[in-house]
Amino acid sequence: MSNDQRQAWFARVMESGLENDIFAPSDVLAHATPDVLASHLPPELLSKVLAASLAAGSMTPERVLETVTPELLAKHLPHEVLWQCIAAAATRAGVNKTVGS
Amino acid sequence: MHRGGRDQSRGQQDGGLVNLKPFLVAALQSALDLGIAIPDDVIRHVTADVLATHLPRPLWARLLTACLGAARVDATLIVETLGVPNLCEHVPAHILWACIEEVGLRSLSRPSTAPPMSSTRPIPLTTPPPPPIEHKPAAIVANPPAPAPASGEVELDASMRGARIPPGQRFRSSTTGIGRLAANNNPRRPQAQATPPAPPPAAEPPASEPPADRGSAPRVKRGQTEHDFDLETYVGGKDDWKNALAVEDEQLVDWAASDETVTNGDEIGRKR
Repeated sequence: MSNDQRQAWFARVMESGLENDIFAPSDVLAHATPDVLASHLPPELLSKVLAASLAAGSMTPERVLETVTPELLAKHLPHEVLWQCIAAAATRAGVNKTVGS
Repeated sequence: MHRGGRDQSRGQQDGGLVNLKPFLVAALQSALDLGIAIPDDVIRHVTADVLATHLPRPLWARLLTACLGAARVDATLIVETLGVPNLCEHVPAHILWACIEEVGLRSLSRPSTAPPMSSTRPIPLTTPPPPPIEHKPAAIVANPPAPAPASGEVELDASMRGARIPPGQRFRSSTTGIGRLAANNNPRRPQAQATPPAPPPAAEPPASEPPADRGSAPRVKRGQTEHDFDLETYVGGKDDWKNALAVEDEQLVDWAASDETVTNGDEIGRKR
């Protein structure tokens, strides 16, 4: 598999997880911490996040993910981080109760 | 946290969490679509026993029909016949998750070196290799049509390749090599006169002298072609080129004895 395919898959899974409330934006930011974001997001994207927050008057996980979409998450963040988010959500949902993760 | 108002206990049931199935469908379907997973990955978890236990009869009928009509029954046929949504609808979520987990972890482990990339590292690694690959075919293409010995072209080809150097060198040495030496010989022959006194020191030659190579080392240095050998022997290979030019008297007599030389001999005699 190519990196593009893996990236597209993680983007789709993250998008689906958010759409279906498998995990919330706050869950994403629990793994994609500010340090992670600051280390991996390009400057222009960080700028957009900050600008959007300044315009809205606050910075919330939802607002961050409005700017840093699942596609951008998968593009810029280490996929291990995204996978930890997904796996943690699966654990909370109890779907991996018979699988040691 | 999360899922405000919903019971976490519902998540303990297979499909009890309303939105879990769409998530599993999206994850599994996209994995198959993107080549992250293959049907074999699915069937490795969703085994025949699992299907027998959880698949409803109508879907079993569809599956049996498809299998009977197919030339080959494999995982692809099963997954395509049943469809990911139906699998996720009836197969326990933890089994599907086990499949997704395997796929996800595998996708992380394969290019696991890639994620830490800061987007600057891979660039230098990938860019260098392509250019050399492009050069080789160009050289190879140029050679076959150009067996004809154009000196410049041959030199280029030989410099480009490693394998065909031997034939190229043979050709090249006979033409360009001589041309160079010939051009150089004219001015250097007089210089070679100065070298004859050097033969005794010529015993030392091996190390230092690039110009002295002709007198001492040439035979060792070059890949001996006949031309090179001859040229070098004229110049300095034998100590006294004067001696080589100093023809014996007998030979002079032979020239003078010829008819043509008789007339010339008079002139020569007059001159003398």
